[in-house]
Amino acid sequence: MFRYLIRRLLWFVPTLIVISMVAFGLSKHTPGDPVALFLNDVSKLESDPIAYQKAYSSVAADLGQDKPSFYFSVTTSAFPRNLYQEINRERRNCLRSLIQQYGNWPQIEHYYQLVGHLDNRLSTAPAGQATTSARVALRLLYLQAVNEVISINLDTIGRALKADTALYNYAAPSFDSLFNAYAQVKAQASPWRHYIPACYWYGLDNQYHHWFGRVLQGDFGRSYANKQPVTDRLWIALRWTLVINSIAIFIAYLLAVPLGVYTAIHRGKRQDRWITLVLFMLHSLPVFWVATLLLIFFTTPEYGMDWFPTMGVGELSTEDSFLERLLVRISHLVLPVFCLTYGALAFIARQMRGSMVEALQQDFVRTANAKGLLPRQVIWKHAFRNALSPIITMLGSVLPAAIAGSVVIEVIFNIPGMGKLSVDAINAKDWPVVYGVLILSAVVTMAGILLADILYAWADPRVKLGKK
Amino acid sequence: MSDFAATDHSSAAPPQSTAPKDQQWWQRLRRRAQARWSLRLLAALLFFAIFGDFIANERPLYCEIEGRHYFPLFRYYSVSAGLAVWQPPFNGSNWDELQYQAVVRAFIPYSYNTIDGKNRNYTSPFGHQNIASWRDRHWLGTDRLGRDVAAGLIAGARTAILVGVLAMTIATLIGILLGAMAGYFSDDKLRVSRAACFIYPLACFAGFYYAFLARALAWAEGSDLIAALGIFALSLLIAWALVKLLSRQSWLAKKILIPADLIVMRLIEIFNSVPPLLLILSVIVIFKEPSLLHLMAIIGLIRWTGIARFLRGELLRVRQLGYVEAGQALGYSEWRILWRHALPNAISPVLIAIAFGVANTVLLEAFLSFLGIGLPHNVVTWGTLLNESRSAVKAWWLAIFPGLAIFLTVTIFNLLGEGLTEALDPKMRE
Repeated sequence: MFRYLIRRLLWFVPTLIVISMVAFGLSKHTPGDPVALFLNDVSKLESDPIAYQKAYSSVAADLGQDKPSFYFSVTTSAFPRNLYQEINRERRNCLRSLIQQYGNWPQIEHYYQLVGHLDNRLSTAPAGQATTSARVALRLLYLQAVNEVISINLDTIGRALKADTALYNYAAPSFDSLFNAYAQVKAQASPWRHYIPACYWYGLDNQYHHWFGRVLQGDFGRSYANKQPVTDRLWIALRWTLVINSIAIFIAYLLAVPLGVYTAIHRGKRQDRWITLVLFMLHSLPVFWVATLLLIFFTTPEYGMDWFPTMGVGELSTEDSFLERLLVRISHLVLPVFCLTYGALAFIARQMRGSMVEALQQDFVRTANAKGLLPRQVIWKHAFRNALSPIITMLGSVLPAAIAGSVVIEVIFNIPGMGKLSVDAINAKDWPVVYGVLILSAVVTMAGILLADILYAWADPRVKLGKK
Repeated sequence: MSDFAATDHSSAAPPQSTAPKDQQWWQRLRRRAQARWSLRLLAALLFFAIFGDFIANERPLYCEIEGRHYFPLFRYYSVSAGLAVWQPPFNGSNWDELQYQAVVRAFIPYSYNTIDGKNRNYTSPFGHQNIASWRDRHWLGTDRLGRDVAAGLIAGARTAILVGVLAMTIATLIGILLGAMAGYFSDDKLRVSRAACFIYPLACFAGFYYAFLARALAWAEGSDLIAALGIFALSLLIAWALVKLLSRQSWLAKKILIPADLIVMRLIEIFNSVPPLLLILSVIVIFKEPSLLHLMAIIGLIRWTGIARFLRGELLRVRQLGYVEAGQALGYSEWRILWRHALPNAISPVLIAIAFGVANTVLLEAFLSFLGIGLPHNVVTWGTLLNESRSAVKAWWLAIFPGLAIFLTVTIFNLLGEGLTEALDPKMRE
C-alpha cells in the first residue's frame, strides 16, 4: 500500500510536467503582449521612443521575457539562435515574418539595425513637418513585413527628406543605407534555408524553467488585470469551489444511497421504473439550462416568484451575527448547490442501484434469506455492505467531475470560484490566471483520482494495490 | 502502418463471422422501446439538421415574378457554390418586399438571420404579432432584433449535429488507433524492429517539419492543409520504404518490445487529469478567429480517451480468445489479426462510448456558445439563443425552447448509449 502510494505520487511528476509544458506552450501563443500591459505611464512614454525602449526592457527583464522560451528550440536554419533577444513581441513577430519571406538573417538584421539607426537620427533632427511625417512612416517600418507596405513607407520617408533640405543633409546618408539594405534583403533572399532544420540549445536559463520552478513553489506569477499575485486569487477561488462542491456531493450521497437501494429492492416494479426514468431525465438535463431557468423564474419579479437573491454569494458585514451571516450565505447558495446536486445525485443513485442489484443476486444473499434473516438485515447487513465499495470509490471520480461541472454553475450564479475565475480571466485576456487555474485544477483532479484508488483499497480488502 | 512485422497478404481472409452477431445486437437494440424511440427522434433531428434550409428560409422555394418562374432557394445553393449569380429581381432586395404573382415559401418563412423589423424586442409566441398572414407567424417568438426563434433552433440543430458528429469522428479515429494498440498488444506483443524504431519517429518529425515549420509562409498566406497532409504522408511512405530496405540488415531488423499499453494508459491519465472544459477553454483562446472547425478539432483531440479505454478493455478480453491464437498459428501478422479479426469483434462496445460522447459534445458546444467563447459570432446555436434569455428575463421562450432542444438531443444520445449498453451486454447475449 505504502509503496503503491509512493509509486503513484512519482507518476504525478511526469504528468504534472507535461501539463505544465502544455499550459506554458499555450500561454506563449496567446494573443497580446504581456510586457506592454505592465508598462506604466504609457502615454508619457509614447512620445519618447528611447525612454519607451528603456522602460520596456526593464519590465521585460522583470517578467523574465528577455530569456529564451524553452530549453531548446527546433526551427529552420534561416532563423538565428538569438532571435529571443529582440524582446519586443511585435517586433519579434515582424522579424520572424521577414525571415519567413526572405530567409537571410544577416541582411535582415542589418536592415533592422538601420531602421533603428535612422530612428535615432530623426529623433535628434530639427523639428518640423517633414521630420514628423518621416518619423511616423519609420515607426511603421518596425512592425511591417509586407513588401508593398515597406516600399510605400520608404517612399514616404524619402519624399519627406527631399522636402526639407536641412533634414535631407542631416539624415539622407542613413536613409540611403537603409534603402540599400532593404534592397539587399530582397536581392539576396535565401528561402532555401528553410528546408534545413536547425536545433538550438539554450540551457537552464530559460523562461519555462524559471516559471515552472516558481509554480512548484506555489507562485503563479502576477495577474495581467490587477497585477496581484495569481496565487492569492486562486486560493480564494479554490475555497469557494471546494465549499459548494463538498456540500453538493454530501447532499447527493445522502439522498442517492437510499434511493439507489430502494429502487434496487423494488427492481422491475412500477416505483423502480418511475424513479429510474426521473433519474435518467435528471442525468440528461443540461445543468446550464436548469440554472438559467431557475435564475429567470425564481430570482426575478417577472413571473411573481422572486424567492431567491439574484447572484453572487451575498454581501456580508462583520457586525452581523453568525446566524444572520449564515442565512445570507444559505439563501445565496441554495440554487447553485441544487444545480450541482441533481446531476451528481442522478449519477450516484444509478450506480448505487446497479451495484445493489448485483449484490442482491449473489449467493450469500440467497443464503441469508434462506437462513430466515429479516429482509432488513439481509439488505443492510449483507447486500448493502458489499454494494458500497464502488460507491465510495466513485467519490474520487465525482469530485473532479463536480469541479469541472461547477464552471457552469459558478459562471451563471456568479460565484467567485475557479470556473468563474477562469472564464472571467479568459474574457479579460488575463493569461497567467487562466493557466494557473488549469494547473491547479489538474493537481486537484489528480489528488481526487488518487483518493479514489486509496478508498477503493480501503473499502474492499480483496483489492491489493500495486499487485497485478 | 501495417508493416511493423513481416506480413503475408497472399492467403485469402477467412469468412467473417461478425455479420450475424452484429445483426443480433442491432435487433436487441430495436426490441427495446426506449432505444426505438431514441432512434426515431434521432432520425427527426438529422432531418432537421440536413433539410433545415427547406423548413425555415426567407427565400421562397418557388416564385413567379412578372410572368417568369424562379427557384430562389435552389439558386441560393448554386450562388454560394460560385456557379451562378442572382437574377435581376433578387439583386440586393428584401425578400418580403418583392411583388410575387405566385409563391411557395418554406413552412417558416424566415432564415435564422432574417431580421423582422416589425416584430423586434421579443415578440411572444402567444401574444400579438405584427404579421400579414398566419403563414408569417413566429411560432416560437422572436429575439431582440426580431429574428425568428424557430428558425434559429433549426440552424442550431445543424451546428450541434455537425460539431457533435465531426468532433466524435476525430475522437473515434484517435481512440480506435490508440485503444486497439493498447488493448491488443498490451505490454508484451508489440515488437518493432530497431530500424522502424529509429526511422518512424524521424519520419514523423520530418513530416511535421516540412509540412508546417518550413512552410510557415505558405501557412500564413492561407492554410493549405491538404498539401501539408500530403507532405506528411509522403515522408511516412519514404520511411516505410526505408524500413523495408534496412530491415535486411540483421542488427537493424532485431525487434524491440514496446509497452504499448503502458504508454497509452499514461497518455490517457494525462488527458484525464485536466477537466476537459477548462482544457478546451484554455486551448480555444489561442485562436484569434475561432471557427467551428477549430472547435471540432480541439474537442476531438481531447475526448478520445473514453473510446480508447472502452476498446482497450474489450480487446484485452478478445486477445485471449481462440481465433486470435488460431490466426497466430496460421502465421498471420499481429497487425493483420488485430485489424481484420480482433477489432471487428471488439468494435461494437465503442458505439456506446461514441453515443455518450456525442451527448457530451453537444452539451459542450452549447455551453461554449452560451459563454460566447470559441465560436464565431455569426453562427447561431442553441447556446447563443439560451444566452440571450439571460439579458431578457421576460422572454421565457428564449430560455425554454433552446434548452429543450439541447435537453432532447442529449437525452436521445444518452438513451441510445443506454440501449447499446444493454444490447451489447455479454450477460444478455445468451
